[in-house]
Amino acid sequence: MKDPDVRQSALKRLLAFLRRPSAHYSLGVLLLAGFAVGVIFWGGFNTVVEATNTETFCLSCHEMRDNVYPEYQQTIHYTNRTGVRATCPDCHVPREWTHKMVRKVQASRELWGKLVGSIDTPEKFEAKRLQLARNEWARMKANDSRECRNCHSLESMNAASQKQRARKQHEMAREDNMTCIDCHKGIAHKKPQGMTEEDEE
Amino acid sequence: MKSSPLYLAVAGALLTTPAIQAAPPADWSAVPATEITLFYPGVSAMEWITKGTEHGGARALRKGETCADCHSDEAADMGKKMASGQKLEPSPIANKAPFIESRVQAAHDGQNLYLRFSWQQPAASGAAPMDAKNPVKLAYMLEAGSQVELAEQGGCWASCHGDARSMPGAADSKTKYVKNGSLAGGVYYDLNQWRSGENKTYDGHIAEERVMEGGTALKGASGAQNGGTWSVVFTRAFAGGPGDVTLEPGKVYNFGFAIHDDHASGRYHHVSLGYQLGIDAEAGIIAKRQ
Repeated sequence: MKDPDVRQSALKRLLAFLRRPSAHYSLGVLLLAGFAVGVIFWGGFNTVVEATNTETFCLSCHEMRDNVYPEYQQTIHYTNRTGVRATCPDCHVPREWTHKMVRKVQASRELWGKLVGSIDTPEKFEAKRLQLARNEWARMKANDSRECRNCHSLESMNAASQKQRARKQHEMAREDNMTCIDCHKGIAHKKPQGMTEEDEE
Repeated sequence: MKSSPLYLAVAGALLTTPAIQAAPPADWSAVPATEITLFYPGVSAMEWITKGTEHGGARALRKGETCADCHSDEAADMGKKMASGQKLEPSPIANKAPFIESRVQAAHDGQNLYLRFSWQQPAASGAAPMDAKNPVKLAYMLEAGSQVELAEQGGCWASCHGDARSMPGAADSKTKYVKNGSLAGGVYYDLNQWRSGENKTYDGHIAEERVMEGGTALKGASGAQNGGTWSVVFTRAFAGGPGDVTLEPGKVYNFGFAIHDDHASGRYHHVSLGYQLGIDAEAGIIAKRQ
């Protein structure tokens, strides 16, 4: 058993060390070192955060790999004529730093879900699909489909290049100030069973 | 006076003129044609069409857009999706024609409306006949005043419901019907049909249910196949009785038609989107006085 007095004095010694002015190094050197460590720390932090913003990371959970990923693979965001794609983070993780951090903190709840296996079987996933979808729809409605608009601009759409039905629908969307997710539910994943009239827009 | 030659000549001319007039145009090639693609509709009943979570167009319908406004360019593609079973068809018929390109011509002479439908006979699917007597049937519906909900936007589609016979799970006795249908209240479709095998016409209406007979406006129809091309001409008086829409020059009527091809019956027909028929009036299909 460790001597409590020894442990306390180690902490006290550390604090004393930090509070003592430097005897050997100039302020400039200390500032530069601090700056360099700060850059390394910040870069490291962001590298780790960005590593969690990749399709590979998302798919490391079988819940995603086995359920929503195969559905997404059938859609235009996965493969298309030009090869321009949107992967998981493009739609589900905001680009701006502040929004991204907020979302990351919210998403830490998913770690708990992973631990307790809240959707770890196909049956459990289907049972929760509507709720999970509604969460995302609500988030996207609230931010005016910000992630869609990272790539798509309603104002810049060339109506002449669109098919009749798309042209008409986007005209109405402009008229009625709608947001992308109002109509484009199911653009990347299957629409859930049990949607109600409130889910219509 | 009574038997002078002049009197007799004038009386004779007046008496026989209506009979000479009451015939379809001798030369249909002079009458402009409207090209309409009929497509296989699967199980796309009104209940599905008006449900926003299933059909993105439900919102457009609520705003007053017509079906054709969004879908007229892609009718053939829709037919392909449904005929193949990819969408809205739980029991696809192998080799069922997905769509039929057709031409509609209309004319009138002040007393009768003449409608000519022509199309290329599609290849047979090889399926067992549902209506052994009639290889082909053609029917159109007219609606006046947009009393039937969504008739102005969808043509005859408002008569198609999920519980009508030949729809999945439907009773065989339940015919097409119209929401809040009432003949007396003017909420009905006037239905005219020609059947190739029986070579007979049927003049009925659809209100709370479909009644195949009772109309008096339809004078007759003749249809024949020449090479691979069908041509069916209907002669319909402007006015009839209950269940017959009264036609008047200068007015526009809601219109749609369908072909039961390949001995089909029930929902296995090819249908048109909703259009308007104008009697000397601007519309998708115009009947001009000949």
